[in-house]
Amino acid sequence: MFNNLAENFYMIEQYIPLILAILVALLFSLFLLKASSLFGPQKPNVEKLTTYESGMEPIRTARERFSVKFYIIAMLFIIFDIEVVFLYPWAVNLKILEDKLGFFIIAEMFVFILILLVGYIYLLKKGALKWD
Amino acid sequence: MDKLGNILHSLNFFYPEIALTLTFFILLLVDLFFRKSKHLLPVLSLIGYVITGYFSFTTPNASGFLFSTGMANVGLYITDSFAFYFKLIILLSLIYTVLFSILSKEINESTENRGEYYALLASFGLGMFLLTSSTDLITIYLAFEMVSLSSYILAGFTRKVPRSAEASLKYIIFGAVASGVMIYGISILYGLTGTTNIYLINFYLANQNYNTLTLVIAGLMIIGGFGFKISMAPFHFWTPDVYEGAPITITAVLSVASKAAGFAILIRFLKVAFVDYAATNLQASLWAILPGFQWNDILAVLSVLTMTLGNLAALWQNNLKRMLAYSSIAHAGYMLSGFVILDNQGILAILIYFAIYLFMNLGAFFIVMLISDKLGSEDIDDYTGLGYKAPFLTVSLTIFLVSLTGIPPTAGFIAKLYLFAALVNTGWLWLALVGVVNSVISLYYYMRVVKNMFLRESISTYEQKIELGHVLISFSLLIPTLVFGVYFKPLIELAEKSIRIFGF
Repeated sequence: MFNNLAENFYMIEQYIPLILAILVALLFSLFLLKASSLFGPQKPNVEKLTTYESGMEPIRTARERFSVKFYIIAMLFIIFDIEVVFLYPWAVNLKILEDKLGFFIIAEMFVFILILLVGYIYLLKKGALKWD
Repeated sequence: MDKLGNILHSLNFFYPEIALTLTFFILLLVDLFFRKSKHLLPVLSLIGYVITGYFSFTTPNASGFLFSTGMANVGLYITDSFAFYFKLIILLSLIYTVLFSILSKEINESTENRGEYYALLASFGLGMFLLTSSTDLITIYLAFEMVSLSSYILAGFTRKVPRSAEASLKYIIFGAVASGVMIYGISILYGLTGTTNIYLINFYLANQNYNTLTLVIAGLMIIGGFGFKISMAPFHFWTPDVYEGAPITITAVLSVASKAAGFAILIRFLKVAFVDYAATNLQASLWAILPGFQWNDILAVLSVLTMTLGNLAALWQNNLKRMLAYSSIAHAGYMLSGFVILDNQGILAILIYFAIYLFMNLGAFFIVMLISDKLGSEDIDDYTGLGYKAPFLTVSLTIFLVSLTGIPPTAGFIAKLYLFAALVNTGWLWLALVGVVNSVISLYYYMRVVKNMFLRESISTYEQKIELGHVLISFSLLIPTLVFGVYFKPLIELAEKSIRIFGF
């Protein structure tokens, strides 16, 4: 049943450009970070080394615990952020897709939005967006 | 564009899953707007499951892969008669679970989250539907996680009961480790073969050179992940705690449906990925495993370990739910031995076993639920003398327990007969003997309950009030348990139609 499959296997060689790209990105960003301290002029004094040169004196550590509510909002934000990620390519290709598939492709995206809308109504009714 | 056309075509075979998804959404929304109505949610779930069942029957089996990945016309999903059989079992146990939940005191007393309860039950079902039909390691893993995440929450649904919260937490920790091990195995297998599709993995293993040790490690890790779902021996530790702590309706569905889905994917994965189709003898229906590692040898050891451990541990239990948990481990062991023989007979025996196991195990849990709702205890010692105070319930429980032991004329006997006959026919005599000895051991702890109920003087002040619903549901489970013990031809025929896994 699978006689013509051998050529279809993805070989590990195909990933070499990807690995190279990751390596280059890593090295380049490390270089940029290091470069400013290597090549930039450095004349530190007491005023410069304070946390804020202008503004308020820091009174305690900035690493505080946040209320769990922030995390809930952040999670909910991501759900609707992802929605946009899917909407963009859909909107860009709509013209081509519509020629081939007609109304279906529009309806399909509304099904997707409807699914997220159910989630939105759920969290609205459950009071996940209420601050107190 | 061709890919898109394939997706559109695939949707024609996807109606049961779409129906389940819609059930999930409707349940979630209805709970938000109609909080007062008590029976609306279960009734809507039942309607949803019946519609899903209707679509399962009317949707034809796909003639090819669904949701093609674009390489070599293989896809992520397949609907075949093998998956259909397991979907029926899953659907039936979901319907029974909803019926149990209507009557369960435990579920109805925690009124605040009933919408989520029924909705998660639907998503649990959806995950299991997806799991039985997946043909790609990625879809297998996603469906596996969907089943797991729903069941973690459901196990801790009555979270104000400490043991329920404990059950949920233990389930999550064990489950996280199991799925972590499994995805590591998947990644190794992908690294070895360069594909995640199990049909292509088989093709690669049959035609290319590879490192056997790597394959064995990856395969064992993946089997471990599936073994967690079916509570196979070294991965069974969560079972007693979770079954004891979870609401009993959820225990029932975990012990049947989730196990069925686990078995379906275990058999599909092992059969599709590791069987050598060039060497398989179709006349004798025997399969040959690809050279390198004999997977059935290790499964034979695990099967013996599972049934023996389950039965020996069950001997010492005083909590009836916990005892049934160990007994379900033992049953997983029996069923696992059906795969070991690498023959269609064995798969047939597993399919028959599951259908019968569904009725007898759900029945036992249902009666235990009804008694413990009144009695407030699942302790076997508290069942003393109940036989005279609640004759209907205790006689039903006795029949279910007798069937679980495998004594004629109950259906449990037929299940074990087919299984052990298949083992003997293919020369696995020692495994059949271990199974028979284990069945004898199991007789002791099942009959201890019966002895307590009928042969000892009553000490409790139990008052019996039988309702019509209790009787109807009990009978709907009792009749198959008894009838399949005498007239089992239709069941065998259905199972024979369902042993065919797509492609080979």
